[in-house]
Amino acid sequence: MVKSTSKDAQDLFRSLHSAYSATPTNLKIIDLYVVFSVFTALIQVAYMALVGSFPFNSFLSGVLSCIGTAVLAVCLRIQVNKENKEFKDLAPERAFADFVLCNLVLHLVIINFLG
Amino acid sequence: MMNLSRSVALISLFLLPLLSFSFSVDNPTDRRVLVLLDDVSLKSSHSIFFTTLKSRGFDLDFKLADDSKLALQRYGQYLYDGLIVFAPSTERFGGSLDSKSIADFVDSGRDLILSADTSASDLIRGIALECGVDFDEDSSAMVIDHSSFSVSDGDHTLIAADDLVKSDVILGKTKIEAPVLFRGVAHSLNPTNNLVLKVLSASPSAYSANPSSKLSSPPQLTGSAISLVSVMQARNNARVVISGSLQMFSDRLFRSGVQKAGSPNKYEKSGNEQFATELSKWVFHERGHLKAGSLVHHRVGETDEPAIYRIKDDLEFSVEILEWSGKSWEPYVADDVQVQFYMMSPYVLKTLSTDKKGMFHTSFKVPDVYGVFQFKVEYEKLGYTTLSLSKQIPVRPYRHNEYERFIPTAYPYYGACFTTMAGFFVFSFVYLYHK
Repeated sequence: MVKSTSKDAQDLFRSLHSAYSATPTNLKIIDLYVVFSVFTALIQVAYMALVGSFPFNSFLSGVLSCIGTAVLAVCLRIQVNKENKEFKDLAPERAFADFVLCNLVLHLVIINFLG
Repeated sequence: MMNLSRSVALISLFLLPLLSFSFSVDNPTDRRVLVLLDDVSLKSSHSIFFTTLKSRGFDLDFKLADDSKLALQRYGQYLYDGLIVFAPSTERFGGSLDSKSIADFVDSGRDLILSADTSASDLIRGIALECGVDFDEDSSAMVIDHSSFSVSDGDHTLIAADDLVKSDVILGKTKIEAPVLFRGVAHSLNPTNNLVLKVLSASPSAYSANPSSKLSSPPQLTGSAISLVSVMQARNNARVVISGSLQMFSDRLFRSGVQKAGSPNKYEKSGNEQFATELSKWVFHERGHLKAGSLVHHRVGETDEPAIYRIKDDLEFSVEILEWSGKSWEPYVADDVQVQFYMMSPYVLKTLSTDKKGMFHTSFKVPDVYGVFQFKVEYEKLGYTTLSLSKQIPVRPYRHNEYERFIPTAYPYYGACFTTMAGFFVFSFVYLYHK
């Protein structure tokens, strides 16, 4: 039984891996960026758990910048994905321009809130 | 302009001799002393005491206690700076003197030596009561001590007392070796009164009773609760000495030798003269009189006094205290003067260090509390005048631009924000130009 479940897990992982390799490169780049920013957010949360939330505004600003930019990257991925029927008519350049603009506003806000 | 200044100079020239004959803030030793006697012979029987006073520069004015021209004030000005009442049996003073006028005399800051003897009239008891001293109610009672008496006396009423208060200010630096001879009435002090002090106490075996009659009930005043000589320093620094024995100041007891019963030491001369002289020096402000200059405070590194401090400022505080030596103001040297930084309770209490030239200084950090504080120096040392100085100063919190610009604990968050911005920049390049 154990051997079969571990073999199942390996098969599952391999099938996921092969399916993922089929995705286009630009989507993989977006995924990498999302992982990077969420990882930065987690580091900040771990640091806050260690030293306490003294300059709470700085903590919120730091976490918000990471999560916000991750959210915007996810939106970009949805809009740019060719398999997505909903955004068929939206030009990918328009999606990228929205992404850049929103990121600029986000970073303006967090620099202000950073203290 | 010239005329006015010339006339002012002339008037001050006439007033100058008058001014030098009174005690003032700059010269606290009394000058003119009224001595009330109930018997003219006291002038000769206590001549040594009066001569020592005169030799120190006092202006003694001897009057009988029932002299009808007695007056302490004239037209609102006091005529004397000190009063010695050696009239234990006087029932009523002559002239305008009574116990109320003597109480007003002390209230005005002037000093008093009051002595009762084997008979103390109600008037004298009343004046002593005003000063916080309770003479024995029994008018025929004297202090009797069957173990601390002088061997020359058969009655055990001539006490050889050596229980003196330990104070160099009141009794002088030289220790009084010989016991002090005393024959008179006992008095007690209210223990809650913190202005009176026992200078010469009776030994634990003393009691107050009539020596010629048998004791019918245990005596009320016994032991060390009996005070033979007490002093009082009023809140306005007027000093009062109350003694239960007029004979203690007499020439006979000044000159006589003394040997305490049960002790092998025989002294040629009793301690009376030294005791009386040193006590008179203290009561007439020749010793132990302090004067303080104003409190000075400023931030470390500055010299001006700021109108307001900020929390966690470093400041320096100093005050000048001088002691009157009898002739001039000398720097006061002590290591127990303290300053409080006070707002409802002292936030900072520091002992001041002295440079031995009269300046007392310290430095401390303003506490982390804002409000209106006071620098308070409250100095009450046994035998010295009380110093009560205070100066108000507000303390404000940080202004918004006095906080630290970047908080060190938040550096990771700053780093994370800038890293995210850099990451976004790099990502957009890579996304646009990848192949």
